[in-house]
Amino acid sequence: MFLVFSAVEIVGAILTVTSKKLVRAAFWLLITLITISGIYILLRAEFVALIQILVYAGAVPVLLLFGIMLTRKKMLEESETSEAK
Amino acid sequence: MSGSLLTPNLVGLCRSLTEILLGIVKAIFDALSLPGVGSWFVSPGVVVFFTYLIATLVMVMWAALVNLLSVMWVERKLYSRIQDRRGIMLGVPWPWSKKYKRGMTNLGWGFLQNIADGVKLLQKENITPASADKLLFHAAPAIIVSSTIMVFAVLPFSENFYYTKVALGVLFVLAALSLGPFAIILAGYSSNNKYTLIGGLRAAAMMLSYEIPLILCVVAVVLLSGTLDPFQMVAVQERPLMGTIVPSWNVFSPPQMLGFVIFFIALVAELERIPFDIPEADAELVEGWTTEYGGMRFGFLFGFKWLRAFAGAGLLVILYLGGWNGPVFATVSVLGYPIPILPQEFWFLLKTYLVVMVIIWISWSIPRVRADQVLKIGWNRLIPLALLTILGAAVFKTMGWF
Repeated sequence: MFLVFSAVEIVGAILTVTSKKLVRAAFWLLITLITISGIYILLRAEFVALIQILVYAGAVPVLLLFGIMLTRKKMLEESETSEAK
Repeated sequence: MSGSLLTPNLVGLCRSLTEILLGIVKAIFDALSLPGVGSWFVSPGVVVFFTYLIATLVMVMWAALVNLLSVMWVERKLYSRIQDRRGIMLGVPWPWSKKYKRGMTNLGWGFLQNIADGVKLLQKENITPASADKLLFHAAPAIIVSSTIMVFAVLPFSENFYYTKVALGVLFVLAALSLGPFAIILAGYSSNNKYTLIGGLRAAAMMLSYEIPLILCVVAVVLLSGTLDPFQMVAVQERPLMGTIVPSWNVFSPPQMLGFVIFFIALVAELERIPFDIPEADAELVEGWTTEYGGMRFGFLFGFKWLRAFAGAGLLVILYLGGWNGPVFATVSVLGYPIPILPQEFWFLLKTYLVVMVIIWISWSIPRVRADQVLKIGWNRLIPLALLTILGAAVFKTMGWF
């Protein structure tokens, strides 16, 4: 169980820093944080695990908002079938 | 004290049911002269597995079929009445009634209308936008549905009607509900549409700012009752208040009255009900962050808002309105068992549905708040008042007044 959690966590952490799209990075960050709380539950620290979800996973949208605000990436990709082209 | 309808408890009942069912399975395999397979089915591990399988099924069915449909029906009937009409009325008469031969009637209760709408949504095509982020577009409804169902793993309906008993139940409910905003912003961003993006960003901004007063009010309650366990929290509210006949529910203690109002407002905002429904303001943004979803995915996103409303109302009842304590404690003794006339589940559901109806009543009576006003109410009014609630609760706790 610990091996599964840690494998998912490491993969998620690597994908967080390597993914090009902002929202994908946020998604993998959420996966990473939730698996960390799973490891806390394995260590029988339920309070820390729930606080981990409540505080860290709950704050990922804030991070995403700041990411959207502070980066100059084009937010909406134009659809290939759109009439604007 | 009023008893619970279920004895011993939900998992215990499911265990007896499983033992009976597996006994029948064993008898079938014994009759087929395969005794090894039959005795494998009654071994302890298999029994425990099937027990929890059946208990999970019962709880999910209870939450998502019975209560979700009831809350939807109550909402549709109630807002129709507010708008001076009768609402959904299509019904099928009972097979034994005289009207059955005439078939469907438009003078019924309309309870099956929601099921018909669900079947219609199931038949529709699941459209995925061509330029959407496919993984996240499909992941967002799954996160919302699973995090809402997770609430019912710990939300108790009475002393014995619960799925698991964990010491940090209230915290678990808050953690499960706090995963919602992320799924909403995920849905809004990955649909690749201007309206969904604006709706998702508004939802994230609003729900994050209203989660803070929500949790601060829970902190004040926890400070007074000294526990995060919903069962103990309800047990604390069971005695009468200072020698009077008024029960000592948390609403009746002076600092918590303010906390109750703040918690209620923050809950309404957290559920995106109409005074605070700027994420899906249907006059400005088409359908908010759910615009690009179609078919049953839209049905999930739309329907589970009501289940979240039900779960939030249940949390409010446990925290402030005394949970499953009722003023009538009469029991009848049948074969030595005390059978309550009005069981605890009745009181819990009565209070929860009353809270849901008040939310519906508010949301169909008053207009929408503007986006900047929403944030101003959240940060400038509710958070200082919530801090004041914590201060009041601390004073009351140290002076021993409550």
